[in-house]
Amino acid sequence: MNIHNYEKLWLVLAMVMIIGFISTVVYGATAVGIEMVNDEGGTIDSTALEEDDRFAEPRVEQVGDNEYEAYVVARQFIFEPDPIEVPANSTLTFYVTSPDVIHGFEVVGTNANAMVIPGEVTELTVELNEPGEYGILCNEYCGGGHHTMEGKLIVHPEDEFEQGGETDE
Amino acid sequence: MSGENTVREIGHDEFDPNGTLALILIYFGILTVMWVFMYFVEFLGNDLTVLA
Repeated sequence: MNIHNYEKLWLVLAMVMIIGFISTVVYGATAVGIEMVNDEGGTIDSTALEEDDRFAEPRVEQVGDNEYEAYVVARQFIFEPDPIEVPANSTLTFYVTSPDVIHGFEVVGTNANAMVIPGEVTELTVELNEPGEYGILCNEYCGGGHHTMEGKLIVHPEDEFEQGGETDE
Repeated sequence: MSGENTVREIGHDEFDPNGTLALILIYFGILTVMWVFMYFVEFLGNDLTVLA
């Protein structure tokens, strides 16, 4: 088969680009450490959340130096706890579940975005480096009040944060 | 294809589609720039990112 040199050139260039696309994704997954949200969180009886250690009382818990876990219940049409408060320069793992229908859990304007499925625990870890306020919203239609379903994530400056402060308000 | 109006006949390798090559290079350039922007600026720059 007779292939023109130009054609060989752009076939090779196309292959190089595909390899480039794949390598950037590999770079993100390895060097940057980006993960997909998966089923690691395990399952749970969605009709008995009140009997579960984590979700009976939705809260934020400190589990290490600068490591926090937030046990979040997404239900029609609120997120508990609200707001979620943590200090800056911390690592926060969300455990989110739902007692009723499928909800979304999206920290608005960021890549932290997952589905919340009754019977499953959605686990996602993020790093919070800067103080600030984020909205949290439900992005899966969950009923008549879906459009009002929102929460807040407040990242306090490190020196202004007190553990347990989230119950004061 | 050689009729009486044919001015010049050239073989397969003698015709160089320079315009096509230029278009493809421009197109590939745009794709590369857009990919870099989308992945490194829009995606990796969009903290909070799921890290575990």
